[in-house]
Amino acid sequence: MNSTAPGRQHARIRDPWTLRDLVLLVVLGVVFGFLYWVFVQAWTALSIAMGPAGDLSQHVLAGSWLLVAPLAIAIIRRPFAGILAEVLASVIEVVFLGSAVGPLLFIAAAIQGVGSELPFAATRYRRYTWLIYALSGLLGAGLVFCYSAVLSGWIGQDLLVVRLVIHLTSGVILGGLLAKVVVDGLARTGVVDNYAIGRRVEADRVIH
Amino acid sequence: MSIPALGPPAGRAAGSVLARRNPTVKLMLLFVVSAVLAVIFDPVTPAVLYVLAAAAVIASTGMELTRLALLHLPFIGFGLGVFLVNALSRPGDVWWTAGPLRITVEGLSVGGSLALRTLVIGVLAIGFITSTDGVRLMHSLHQQGRLGPRVTYAVLAGYRMLQEMPREWQTIRHAHAVRAPLRPDGAPSRSPLAFGRGAFALLVISVRKGERMALSLESRGLGLSPRTTWRRVPLTGADWAMAAGVLGVLATVVVTSRMLGHLRGVEALLS
Repeated sequence: MNSTAPGRQHARIRDPWTLRDLVLLVVLGVVFGFLYWVFVQAWTALSIAMGPAGDLSQHVLAGSWLLVAPLAIAIIRRPFAGILAEVLASVIEVVFLGSAVGPLLFIAAAIQGVGSELPFAATRYRRYTWLIYALSGLLGAGLVFCYSAVLSGWIGQDLLVVRLVIHLTSGVILGGLLAKVVVDGLARTGVVDNYAIGRRVEADRVIH
Repeated sequence: MSIPALGPPAGRAAGSVLARRNPTVKLMLLFVVSAVLAVIFDPVTPAVLYVLAAAAVIASTGMELTRLALLHLPFIGFGLGVFLVNALSRPGDVWWTAGPLRITVEGLSVGGSLALRTLVIGVLAIGFITSTDGVRLMHSLHQQGRLGPRVTYAVLAGYRMLQEMPREWQTIRHAHAVRAPLRPDGAPSRSPLAFGRGAFALLVISVRKGERMALSLESRGLGLSPRTTWRRVPLTGADWAMAAGVLGVLATVVVTSRMLGHLRGVEALLS
């Protein structure tokens, strides 16, 4: 059912999503939703203790919220995987974990999903280099920053540029480069061999 | 360690008026109110909405005040941070100054608005989460929200996985604590690196588990459509009445606030 001819390199848009791919997206959302939740337990206390600086420190970790999209794209390698993964992750955070941001998180998730997905889409889901991952993190962080800047009233504050710089740096490192580290790690363990990423490696082996 | 929002709604909220309402309608209302609040930047309108929303949540769930107050804590913490940073870092008419610190009138107004917005969304989210069962919500989204059956069952499978995850996480941490080098005082390491190792192990285990789940879902025919459903989540007149009531109050407050000259939009950020 999932066999791919060795030479067939481009993402297939028309094939319907398999349940396996959908469940993987949900699993990524669940795992990261849970890890954020574990992390936020400690984080909320810390950010209250830091007072005004706590509001700034959220940008340091902003990139980690982007991680799901590049992971999903790299493993599943089909259009909209990143956006869908982000939105599903936000649904799990709001509905099952009770996020403090509320349902506006769905919109933020879709926006950052679009940002993260654009660089991969531009290569037609063929290239997975450090540069593409970094661009993915940069765009994801940049787009969602514009949205949050209006929503959270950052526009007009003295700190806008400081926020932007920290936010984008975090996006590139945590939301881009870290994703490649995780994807390569996952590929080495063999758990994603049955997804598009594994089939692609197999196909490359046949050709070369 | 357990996740408070998981599992069926506890206590009196389970049989309350709000718990009997259709989950999709509740979610849509929460979404609409959040979206409208997102473009309001004066403190008066959200303050009025907060009082009304808190009263409505208390009346419709019968929640004890102490429990409601406890659930407020994360929203208060978040709101306080947003308020302080706006008060201190927004240019405008100086209201108070001490050394390098200065508080502006604009900062107080915008910061207050954002903090109160957090509280309004917060109290509504508390009402939603304490009165809504996640599984019922997904069934309702499938039936009334036209969510595809495959996405619905994938999310429900993920929900089941999430419930088991705290235990899985403990197991991994214990396993690492047995093997990993301990700190000088004998406690397991709490460094970010140790957290990362645990996180990666959790990811690998979950991906593997997810593949098995997908196979078993498919072998039970859950990937096929169309499907019939056994237990329908009802959508009744009371749900429409609730929607009309909430939207009516929201519109009345916003229009009244505008007529009285309190309402301010995004332009408040730039003035």
